[in-house]
Amino acid sequence: MDGLDESLVAAHLQGDPGAFRELVRRYGDGVLGYLCRMTGNRDQAEDLFQETFTKVHEKAPSFRGGSFKSWLYTIATRVSIDTLRRRRRMAFLSLSRQTDGDDDPPALAELADPDAADPVDELVKEEQKEQVRRAIAALPAGQRAALILSYYQQLSYAEVAEALGCSVGAVKTQMSRALAKLAQSLPDSVDVIP
Amino acid sequence: MNQHLTEQQLIDYQFKLADEAALDEARSHLEQCEPCRRRLQTLVRKFAALDLLREEIQVPADLLAQTVANAVRPRGIGILPMCRRAIWALQGVVFHGRDARDTHGQEAHATVGKPSQSRPSRVIQLYRVPALGAVAAAVIVGFALLLVSDSGRHKRILPTESYEQPAQKAVSAPSLADSYVFEKDELRSADMDSLRRAELAPRAETGRVGLAPPELASAPAGNVKAESPVRGGPATSGEGVSPLRVAGVPPALRGQDTLDTKSKAGTASPQTPDGVTTSALDVARMAQAREIAEKPPFAPASAIELVVLPRRQDVQLTIYNGADLTLVRERRHLTLKRGWNWLQFMWANTLIDPTSLSLEPLEHRDAVQVQQLVFPPRLRELGRWLIRSEIDGQVPFELTYFTSGLAWRAFYMGTLSQDEKTMRLESYVRVNNHSGEDYENAQTRLVVGRVHLLDQVAELAKRQYAYGSPVPPDVWDVMTHGRVKKEAANRLGSDRDLVSGAFADSVEPKEIRKEGLSEYFLYTIEGTETIPNQWGKRLLSFEADEIPVVSLYKYDEERWGAQAVRFLSFANDEDHKLGATPLPDGAVRIYGRAGEGGHLSYVGAMDVKYIPVGAEIELNLGPARLVEVKPVLMDVRTENHTFDTKGEVSGCDEVQTWKIETANASSLPVDIEVTRRLGTPYWTLKPADAAVTYEKHDATHARFKLTIASHSKRVFEYTVTTYHGVRQGALPNAN
Repeated sequence: MDGLDESLVAAHLQGDPGAFRELVRRYGDGVLGYLCRMTGNRDQAEDLFQETFTKVHEKAPSFRGGSFKSWLYTIATRVSIDTLRRRRRMAFLSLSRQTDGDDDPPALAELADPDAADPVDELVKEEQKEQVRRAIAALPAGQRAALILSYYQQLSYAEVAEALGCSVGAVKTQMSRALAKLAQSLPDSVDVIP
Repeated sequence: MNQHLTEQQLIDYQFKLADEAALDEARSHLEQCEPCRRRLQTLVRKFAALDLLREEIQVPADLLAQTVANAVRPRGIGILPMCRRAIWALQGVVFHGRDARDTHGQEAHATVGKPSQSRPSRVIQLYRVPALGAVAAAVIVGFALLLVSDSGRHKRILPTESYEQPAQKAVSAPSLADSYVFEKDELRSADMDSLRRAELAPRAETGRVGLAPPELASAPAGNVKAESPVRGGPATSGEGVSPLRVAGVPPALRGQDTLDTKSKAGTASPQTPDGVTTSALDVARMAQAREIAEKPPFAPASAIELVVLPRRQDVQLTIYNGADLTLVRERRHLTLKRGWNWLQFMWANTLIDPTSLSLEPLEHRDAVQVQQLVFPPRLRELGRWLIRSEIDGQVPFELTYFTSGLAWRAFYMGTLSQDEKTMRLESYVRVNNHSGEDYENAQTRLVVGRVHLLDQVAELAKRQYAYGSPVPPDVWDVMTHGRVKKEAANRLGSDRDLVSGAFADSVEPKEIRKEGLSEYFLYTIEGTETIPNQWGKRLLSFEADEIPVVSLYKYDEERWGAQAVRFLSFANDEDHKLGATPLPDGAVRIYGRAGEGGHLSYVGAMDVKYIPVGAEIELNLGPARLVEVKPVLMDVRTENHTFDTKGEVSGCDEVQTWKIETANASSLPVDIEVTRRLGTPYWTLKPADAAVTYEKHDATHARFKLTIASHSKRVFEYTVTTYHGVRQGALPNAN
């Protein structure tokens, strides 16, 4: 267990309000990124973000050691999967974070900015992003969670296993299946612009 | 060279998903095989697309602050968490044996990150040891009964999830064999059903096998089961015929939740052919059956349905007088079954706006989600809600919608004192209901203010489908308005207002509380009122005595013709014993007291607009019958002519002499204002009598103010000189 996490959780349990805030600050970006990628919707991710940390606050007494990060992602995973299951009616929402429809023209100010990237390149890039989002969204929840935790959140397979409550072998299997599906659905060639 | 690597092997190699031996084998193959290296590079380029979504996401400061604030908000601590922990402890003891510490204690965490060293939980598969399974199930059920019988008094529902460390969980693959390994959620389900079984034990003896309560047989599982009307108390007028109904409907697809009863029906024999005891099988199957299907059932769209009608618990009406708009908030208790529930709402022959329908649980919001509102085709004025419930039991819901046809209006009655210097003012509110629905024991709130409506609710209510094409107005008129008018004529006569105050239950006068909103003013009628359809009801709003008033007569031919008009003025402020609230629009009727007996006599009436606090009110009581004003032109001439260079008239003065005859036939002296139009801003005026004064009312009008004694006449004269053409420059500054 991370010594700092351990001390923060202990301080939080002893009633230090700053400790919980520090935990949110330390892991907030990662959790929000994870939830954004899981749900494909920024607004929904922010809602789940609050719900996740509310659960963390409530369940902190039941945390008995181990990796706080894995425990945190366990909660985030359950919250996101539960919500996705409950709100399947929302599944038709675009994974586009801006949820901009096809009919929405790009901002005129952006087009007029001489320093802005070439609009055609931007359009192509957005289209590729959309393809990636669709490909990830099409994965089953378990595979998606394993992929995002491992690839984007940079958790080790052991941490992913801990977060998902399964064995490392199961995580690798999920990853392998997810990547095999992505190999079929991802665009062939992408120039990744940092 | 070995056979080329498959794409899966390349993926496993790239992401190190295979074991060490397989990785070494792939590595050595790639060192020798150019085609496989190229394929690997192609795959790597393809997976580089994933990096497109690798953008940094940062938590905004406000979200962070809000999250911390929400999380640290104090919440109540119930007995249920303690009960759950006790159940987990028991579960660990009974089923996990010495591994319980691994699944709940710190030893399990010591193995995190070292999968090869981790020791999996030892699971006793009860189906292989029937006797032990039976004992275990009996212990669990008994213990659950003990716990739930206490906690159920506080809260029957156990919706909260627990987030234990993954290592604390037992194996939970949904196979039949694993179904005997009780996880905490399944145990909670067992709690609920044990309770229900205990409650329904006498009926279970009648031969109906299974754990479903008997009402589930008549109202299929998965429905919203309305509270029985029998339990709802004595029948009231309109019960059972109300056009606004909330009802549970049988699901069109019964495969979802009827699984409950089907699965339970198989538990008749005490022992299955496999030798597993009934109690263990019950609990295990129950745990399976009670998993809520992820996919919601298809909306039932049949026209023939069997429904039960939950009664309205209470209702609140917020009636706007600025528009034909009423917000209805009603509360009904619905009995939900765990799983998917369909709830039918009908509003035939009412004027509600179906696009405004909203349904929200008032309790257990985490466990009950209202997911869809569907308007089945071919069915008029009917909507069905899909509700996902994680609980069994009664849940209060709030149903809100807009309706038209309810209106309210204020009116006032003023009674002048004998000397007409003070007045008693009584304010009433009259609520009329033509919405098509009886509202029984409604808390009624009245809002003063302007409401901007994009659509008229009455028009929305006429639509056949909530979002579909509107029905042609003539059809609607035949279907509803015509019938409504006919009913109204039959029951109440042509004047709907005649029914005001005809309610038998209006014994005590109700207080109407007033409070200000940001843009509106809200009047809340004390207690509740029953407002049946097509009826009106009058309520006293306030009364004030001895309000100082000013009675004034005015004569202005341009505005009211050749007659004097009577005005009564006062202010809505504390000096006039008012000013507590604004006065809403309404009709004011003024009465005077005549004769020795002080009998009321009608003086006049008018409609007033909204009167804010502090504003003055001037009531036009109409033509004065006892005060007369008669102007007579006595003389007119022109003088001081001027001529231009061509010898034509370029200017002159016109001098008119008027005699004003006034008469007061009443028994009280009166003040009167006589306003005279002069036709030009260039004028001078001189009264013949110095006792008569005037003031310049505006550029072209002069106003005389005088008092006329009772039963007397008063005559005065004045001469007015108007200047025309170049003579306008001769106007003295005295004006």
